[in-house]
Amino acid sequence: MAANVITASHLTLAYDRGRKRIIENASFSVRKGEFVFITGPSGSGKSTLLKALYGAIRPLEGTLKVGGLDMAKIRKGKLQELRSHLGIIFQDYRLINEWTVEKNVVLPLIIAGYSMEVQQTQAKRLLRHVKLTEQADRYPLELSGGEQQRVGVARALSKNPFLILADEPTGNLDEYSSNVIWDLLENACDQLGSTVVVVTHQLPTMFNIPYRHFIIESKGIYEVR
Amino acid sequence: MKSVKEHLMFILPLMAILLGVEFVLVFNRVTSNYEEKLRESYTILVVSKSPMSLRRFRRIEPHISSVEAISKERIARQIARGIQNTRTQEILAALPYFYTLHLDRYLSRTAVEKIRKKLLKVPGVKKVETFGENHRAKYNLFLFLKIVFWSFVVLLSLVSFFLILKQMEVWQLAHRERMQIMEVFGAPMLLRSGVLFRMGITDAIFAVALSGGLFALLKYYWAPRSGIEILVDRQALLFEPKDLAILAAIAFTLVISAVMNVTIRSGEVRE
Repeated sequence: MAANVITASHLTLAYDRGRKRIIENASFSVRKGEFVFITGPSGSGKSTLLKALYGAIRPLEGTLKVGGLDMAKIRKGKLQELRSHLGIIFQDYRLINEWTVEKNVVLPLIIAGYSMEVQQTQAKRLLRHVKLTEQADRYPLELSGGEQQRVGVARALSKNPFLILADEPTGNLDEYSSNVIWDLLENACDQLGSTVVVVTHQLPTMFNIPYRHFIIESKGIYEVR
Repeated sequence: MKSVKEHLMFILPLMAILLGVEFVLVFNRVTSNYEEKLRESYTILVVSKSPMSLRRFRRIEPHISSVEAISKERIARQIARGIQNTRTQEILAALPYFYTLHLDRYLSRTAVEKIRKKLLKVPGVKKVETFGENHRAKYNLFLFLKIVFWSFVVLLSLVSFFLILKQMEVWQLAHRERMQIMEVFGAPMLLRSGVLFRMGITDAIFAVALSGGLFALLKYYWAPRSGIEILVDRQALLFEPKDLAILAAIAFTLVISAVMNVTIRSGEVRE
């Protein structure tokens, strides 16, 4: 049986020093190589859960383990190391607008200190993968929303992460661009073996690989079977 | 154009601080040199029946820095010119001891007068004479200028520091997004703020070079032609190589604290 990549036990997440509780007493786990959708109404805490998964907020109560690391007690250095092994995709793309597409794609490799040669090889491969080879030298603001999100996906995949976290990755995109992004994420899970957790307000209409579906409702997290 | 403006907005206030610091350094050197000259021009002559040592003089007045005993033989020889040798010996035996005293710093006439009175009270001391030009008016003007100048430099540095803080806020806004994205992907602080460090250090090098250049110009070109006695006489004091190191240290300290401040304030990605 595959090891758990994420384990949450009696997890409570809150803002405002515990006064505003978003998720309460939630328990769930995600195994290596699984594709997981987390849905729920606006403001239900989907993005908050994702933030907790990459350590932007710490659990108030209970435990949350990502890659075996306790997110309540994780130290800054370990958190940086963990983040360098994650692939994170945002609804608003979060690309560095002063950098070219190619440089944006290899950001995790720059952080990890890979040589220029490795960066260039990886950039070529990834841009070919997301069909943006021609746009390598352009800047994010010169691209359409769908193209920018493909750059975001390429960046997330650049270091072969063990876990990909995507926050509403198709939230700002049209149907065609959304399908391209779903294909890329399916491929990351199916071909590369990454665990993928996607927070979305709506499940995709067409999805070709097995997945698990959690719903956040009334501060709880429940699996839909 | 925007980038040049961004650099100038940091370089100019930094230069204002550095120029202020350099002015203070130069002014202090010139003042100390002037004080030294004044101090050297002061002499206190003491005539005593018994021999006295520097230690004894310092017990009486701590501002006395050195003592020179005036040779009695020379005085006796001058007095006894054309007189028999035996008489010279008598004169020598009858002569008191003569001392020239030097002070550790330039004191006012009143203070010197107080020292004179103190020395006169010492048993054995027969006479105390003070010689020296009265530079007091010039010196007081110098002190007044020093205070005005210091106040101006402090005010200028404060205003410049606030301008630097303002520019840091601009930097923070401009680089916050990029630094937060890099942090999400696990970049350590030094890597996140690398661009800011490069930018700040370049600006600091420019500011130090320009400030140093201005003072070098003042020293080698303007001062010799100015005809201002105090500058012409003390040209060597106007700019020293070690000043460049002091300016660089101040500039880099300011830049590093500015960048650290921006980086820390950009902080964690939180809702």
